[in-house]
Amino acid sequence: MQEDLMDIICCPLDKNELELDVTEREDGEIVAGTLTCTDCGETYPIEDGIPNLLPPDMREDAPA
Amino acid sequence: MGDDEESVDRESTDRPPLADQRGVDTVYGASEDSHLLAEAAVEAVEPGERALDVGTGSGYVAASLAEAGADVLGTDLNPAACREAREAGIPVVRANLLDPIQASAVDLVAFNPPYLPSAPETEWGDWMETALSGGEDGRAAVDPFLEDLSRVLRDGGRAFLLVSSLTGIKAVREYAGSQGLDSSIVAEESFPFERLVVLRLL
Repeated sequence: MQEDLMDIICCPLDKNELELDVTEREDGEIVAGTLTCTDCGETYPIEDGIPNLLPPDMREDAPA
Repeated sequence: MGDDEESVDRESTDRPPLADQRGVDTVYGASEDSHLLAEAAVEAVEPGERALDVGTGSGYVAASLAEAGADVLGTDLNPAACREAREAGIPVVRANLLDPIQASAVDLVAFNPPYLPSAPETEWGDWMETALSGGEDGRAAVDPFLEDLSRVLRDGGRAFLLVSSLTGIKAVREYAGSQGLDSSIVAEESFPFERLVVLRLL
C-alpha cells in the first residue's frame, strides 16, 4: 500500500484514525506492517502490500 | 443504454449465464455486469477524483476508473481477489463493504455486489459463492452497503450499483430511498433470464 491510503482508511469497528507502523518497504510502497486503531487499539496486519481491514471476527471466516 | 441493441446482441452471444460460472474459479472475473458498471462509472468520473471499487474482484472496474484518471482504491473480502487486483496495479485493501472507509472520503463508489438470490441448501460455501450469492433475497450485501453509503461520500459524491431483476430492482430502489438516497437507472441490458441495471445513487 501507498502511504496516502491513510487519508481514506479508518478502523472498521469504530471509524477512528489508524496509526501506521511499517516493518518493510519496497520501492516506496509499504509491503508489511500494522495499522493500529488510535482509539480501540485493535491491530490490523499489512501483508504482501495488502492491509487486512476486516474486523477481527471476520478475519478467519474464510471459505475454502 | 437500453436502446443500444448492437451492444446487447454482441454481449449476449457466447457467454454462459452468471450462475453457470459458479465454481470455475476463486475470483470473479469481469463479465457483462462488470462492463455495464464500468462504462457507467467511467462516464461519471472526473480525472483526479477519489474513486472506490467495492468488491473489486479481478480489478476490472477499478482499472477502468484508473484509466479515466481517477485515484482508485479497490476493496474485496476475498484475499485471492485482493492479490489479483494488486497484481493488476490496483491499490487494494481487504475489507467488508465500506467498513474501513473514512467519512466523506470518496467522490465515486462503484459496487457490483453478489446479488443472485440463493436457497441455503444450494449454497456452495466457497469464494465464488461469496462473489455471486446475495443470500435468500439477493440483498444480503446490497442492504448494508446502502445503509453506509452516505457516510463515505463527499459533497457531490455519487455511487453506481449494479442490480439484477433477479434481486428486485424496485426493492433495491425503495430501500435506497429509505436510506435517503435518490436513485436513477443510468444503464441497462437484458439477458434471457435477467435484466441488469446500473443505479446511480446520490
